[in-house]
Amino acid sequence: MPDHHEGDAARIQLRIPSSTAYVSLVRTAAAAIAARLDYSIDRIDDLRLAVDEACALVIADAADDAVIVCEFVSASTQLEVEIAGASRSGSPPSSGSFAWTVLSALVDSVSATVTNERNLIIRLSMNSTNAASTNEFA
Amino acid sequence: MTEPTMSVPVGGIRDRAYERELLVHLAKLRVSDDPEDQRQAAKLRADLIPLHIPLVEHLVRRFLDRGEPHDDLLQVGTIGLINAIDRFDPDRGVEFSTYATPTIVGEIKRHFRDKGWAVRVPRRLQEMRAALSKATETLSHDLGRAPTVAELARKLEVSEDDVLEGLESASAYATISLDAGFDDTESASITDSLGFDDEALALVEDRATLRPLLEALPERERRIVMLRFFHNLTQSQIADEIGVSQMHVSRLLTRALVKLRKGMSEAHAD
Repeated sequence: MPDHHEGDAARIQLRIPSSTAYVSLVRTAAAAIAARLDYSIDRIDDLRLAVDEACALVIADAADDAVIVCEFVSASTQLEVEIAGASRSGSPPSSGSFAWTVLSALVDSVSATVTNERNLIIRLSMNSTNAASTNEFA
Repeated sequence: MTEPTMSVPVGGIRDRAYERELLVHLAKLRVSDDPEDQRQAAKLRADLIPLHIPLVEHLVRRFLDRGEPHDDLLQVGTIGLINAIDRFDPDRGVEFSTYATPTIVGEIKRHFRDKGWAVRVPRRLQEMRAALSKATETLSHDLGRAPTVAELARKLEVSEDDVLEGLESASAYATISLDAGFDDTESASITDSLGFDDEALALVEDRATLRPLLEALPERERRIVMLRFFHNLTQSQIADEIGVSQMHVSRLLTRALVKLRKGMSEAHAD
């Protein structure tokens, strides 16, 4: 793969209907972007699962006709993913929930905010050089 | 009832007359209320199944290019065979194989339908998946970590897109039965069977909802969920720990999360 974006950040956006049926598109995009950043395949799988989980959280709280906006920003080894959608509850998911436990285990950092416009945004951040990409026990 | 010739021919020699005799006899025994006849019927049925496995094998072959493991198909095909043996009426004058074929094929097709496999997985992708699994294992061993897509592409002399596509297809079919051949029966005590400890769950607010859902998972999936999310092992480490491939861990994990997520949302909706 060509390295057009070495050094400067690439920004990719996907807009999907608020339905889990479309999440696979986001997952596929995430995997392809992570592969470009030379992530190990278990980190890519982790990212896939995290995107699934984050999308599920946003979609569960979004109105049926909402548009879910997924944005990826990649720079060298760093990947930021934002999943956003109009929130019905107006409150972010609890950091004590199982879903949050899952997200925290899968990516390096995760945060959630609800904006003044009642948009729920879940941010995931991952780095290919994370310790989890090496198999210490091997 | 007279005692029939019950011995199965050695070496699997196909003897249609003999098979038919067994089937005719079974049909008679089936309608009897006598417990002894019922016992005999069960034995006859058990003798008849292996005799017709070649037929199931033959029919399964038609479906082998759709990405389902051979053993899984053989298993569901055998269920069709058993149903056919149980319902066959020799008086109708049809050959058993003629009668059994649609039942067996029907069972296999139902299996694909149940699994949501309307999509046919091209052979090329299946081969890619098998090659990826093997290459991942080799490279993980050599590198001491999970390989990257670029490394896999180099090793297999294919493009990175091909590798991604292969990995994608492997995880996309996460709902497929992956436990064929594994014994996932629960041991007497769930907590003893390892998988989870309440201490690890203590920090999860919705553990009251989560706990029964975890308990309902097959032991292997529960164990992988615990190791990944509560003990923070990587997929590769878990693969080593339980002795399966990383791709398999990935699939089981995906599947377990789908179930847990569904369970959690149903619980919250109540």
